[in-house]
Amino acid sequence: MTDRQTHLQNTGKFVAPLGVLIFFAAMALAITMNLWTTLAVVVVLTALLIFGEKRGFVETAYKMVEKNYKITVAVFVAALLLFPIALRGNSYFLHILVIAGIYAMVALGLNFQIGSMGQVNFAPAAMFGIGAYTSAMVSVHYGASPWLGMIAAVIVTAGMGVVFGFPALKTRGFYFSLVTIAVQTIFVLLVVNTDWLGGPNGIPGIPAFSLFGRSLKQTGNLFGMLLPYQINYIYLTFFLLILLIIVARRLYTSRFGLAWNAIEEDEIVAATQGINLTKLKLLSFSIGSVFAGIAGSIYAHYTSFIGTEDFDFNKSLILICMVLLGGMDNPVGVTLGAVLLTVIDEKLRVFADYRMLMYSVILIVVLVVRAQGLLPKRNRTYPGTEEG
Amino acid sequence: MLYAQIINAVMLGCTYSLVAIGFSLFFGVLDTVVFCTGDVAIFSSFSVVLLVQITALYALLIGLFNPFFSILITVLLAAVITAALMVIMYQLVIKPFENKSSLMPLLSTIAAGIALRELIGIFFPQGRNPRSFPELLSMERIFEALPGISWRNGIIILATILIVALLHWFINKTKIGLSIQAVSQNREAATMVGINRNLVIYVTFIVGGLILGFSGFLIGSYYSVIRFDLGASFGLKGFSAAVVGGLGNLYGAIVGSMLIAFAEVFVSAYIPGGTAYAGIAAFVLVLLFILFKPEGVLGSRSIEKV
Repeated sequence: MTDRQTHLQNTGKFVAPLGVLIFFAAMALAITMNLWTTLAVVVVLTALLIFGEKRGFVETAYKMVEKNYKITVAVFVAALLLFPIALRGNSYFLHILVIAGIYAMVALGLNFQIGSMGQVNFAPAAMFGIGAYTSAMVSVHYGASPWLGMIAAVIVTAGMGVVFGFPALKTRGFYFSLVTIAVQTIFVLLVVNTDWLGGPNGIPGIPAFSLFGRSLKQTGNLFGMLLPYQINYIYLTFFLLILLIIVARRLYTSRFGLAWNAIEEDEIVAATQGINLTKLKLLSFSIGSVFAGIAGSIYAHYTSFIGTEDFDFNKSLILICMVLLGGMDNPVGVTLGAVLLTVIDEKLRVFADYRMLMYSVILIVVLVVRAQGLLPKRNRTYPGTEEG
Repeated sequence: MLYAQIINAVMLGCTYSLVAIGFSLFFGVLDTVVFCTGDVAIFSSFSVVLLVQITALYALLIGLFNPFFSILITVLLAAVITAALMVIMYQLVIKPFENKSSLMPLLSTIAAGIALRELIGIFFPQGRNPRSFPELLSMERIFEALPGISWRNGIIILATILIVALLHWFINKTKIGLSIQAVSQNREAATMVGINRNLVIYVTFIVGGLILGFSGFLIGSYYSVIRFDLGASFGLKGFSAAVVGGLGNLYGAIVGSMLIAFAEVFVSAYIPGGTAYAGIAAFVLVLLFILFKPEGVLGSRSIEKV
C-alpha cells in the first residue's frame, strides 16, 4: 500500500498539474472555436469521465490531486490568471468568462438547497435579480459607490433568503416548489409593474466598479499588451468565485453540510437526532441567496443595464440545469456545470429559438442517464476514518 | 358590473378547473405532480387548430354532418391525440423515475412541459405568433334578456359540468374507477388485493389526457387567441387551484379553481390599477393556503410517517 502511495505521489507531481493544463487547453478550445468543436470537447470530456469512473481512474486522479495539493493549486491559479490574458484578443471570449463566473456563483448558492437539502428551489433567478436590482438602485438612485451597492445587495438578499426560507419550514417537496415558483413569478410581475424599479424598461446606466480610483471599465496596459476592460471584471469575478467555492466546500465538509444531507434523507429522522431544522433550513436559504446577491451585484455593474428578462423563470431553470449537470452537492462540479452550460449557451446564440428546447432536453437526459451529474459528490473523509 | 364580473370569474374558473382536475387525478395515483399538465392542455388547443385550419378536416365533416357532430368529432379526435401524448409523457419522463427521489419527476415533467411548448413554437406553422382559435361556438346570446351568456359561454359551462359528472360516475361507479381510488388511498394495499397498478396508471393517464384534451378546446374557445407559451401560466394556475382545493381531491380542484378565478377577476375589477396585479393575487392566495391550510379547502390532513 505504501508502495502504491509513493508511486502516486511521484507520478502525481507531474500528472496532476498536467491534467489542469489539459483542462484549460480544452476550455480555451471550447470558448474560441465554433459550436461543433465546443460540443466535441464536451462529449470527449464526458466520455473520459464516464470511462475513467468505470476503471477507477477518477478516484486515482482525486488521490493524486490530494497528495499534491499545493503544486496543483499553484498551477491552477497560475493558469487561471494567465488564461484571460491569453484570450485578450477577443473581448467577446472574455465576456463569456465573466458571465460563466457569475452564473457559477448563483449555481453554487442554489446548490445549498437542491444539492445539499434536496429541495428544488425554482427562484434562484429571483434572488439573483433582487441582488442586481438592490445594487443598481443604491448606486443609480442614491449615487452611492457600487461597492456599497454590493454590500446592500448582500444584506437584502440575506434577509430575503430568511423571508423565503420561512415557507420552506412548513412545506417541502411539491408544495415548496410551488412556493418558489410563486415567488419567482411574483418577483417578475412586481418589477415589471413598478415604475420606481424601471418597470418593463429596466435600469440603464448603472455605474461600474472602481478600485483605487480606477474604473474597472478602463482598458488596461500590461507590458505593452492592450487588455480589454473585461479582464478587470474577470479577475474580480474569479477572485470572488474562488472565495465562494472555498466557503461552499468548507460548509460541505462541516457539520452543517452533514446536517443538510441528513435533512435530505429524512426530515423527521434528522429532527429526532437533534438537528435544528429551523436554523439549518434558514441558513441554507440565506447563504444561497447571498451567493446569488453577490453575483447579481457584479452582473448589474458589469452589464450596466438590467431588465426583468435576465431574471425570469427560464433563467431559474437554466441555473437548476447547471447544478444538475455539474453534480449535485459538489461545489467543483457545480462550477464546472455552470461554465460548460454558459459556453454552450453563448455558442448557441445563432439558434436562439432552440435554446430552451435544448435546456429541457439536457435536463431530461441528465436525469435519465446520469442523475448524479458529471462530477458526482464523493463520500466525505474524516481524519481517522481512512488510511493516511 | 358585478353581474358581468361574476360571469367572467365563472368562465375563468371553468377553464382552470379541468386542468386542476388533471393535476389532482395524476397526483392521486402517482403521488407526483405532473407539471407538464398545462402544456398538454394547450397542445390540445393547437391540435384543434391543426384539425380545423390546416388539415381542413372540419370542412370535410361539416359537409357530412350537422355542426354539432362535426365539432364533437373534431374535439374527440383532438382529445384522443392528447391522451396518446399523455401516455407517451408517462413512458418517457415519469416512469423512469418511479421509486426514486421525488425531486426527479418534478424536474423532468417541468422540462417536458418546456420541451412541448418549444416544439409547438418551432414546428407549428408560425407557432411563435399568437394564433386565432377557430370560432366553432357561436357568440350570440342564448336569451335576449340575459347579456353575457352567449352560446359559447353556456356550452363551456355545460361541458365542464358534463365532464365533471362523467368523471364522478367513472370514479365512483365503474370497477376501474374504484381501483383508481384504491391505488390513490393506499398503493401497497391495492396491489395486495389484486389490483393491477400499471393498468390503473395507464387508464388514469388516458382519462386525464382526454379531460385535458377537452379543456384545450374550451380554453381556446374562451380566449379565442392562443399562444404557444400559454401552457406555463395554465399549468401554474391549475396546480395552484388543485393545491388551494386540496391536492388529490377532484371536487376540491373545482372549488380551488373558482376561488382563484374570483380572486383574479375581482382584484383586476375593483382595485385601482389592479389589472397588473391580478396574477399576483392568485399566487398570494396560494402562498397563504400553503402556509396556513396546506391541506386545502376539501383535502384531509395527512399525518407524516417515517
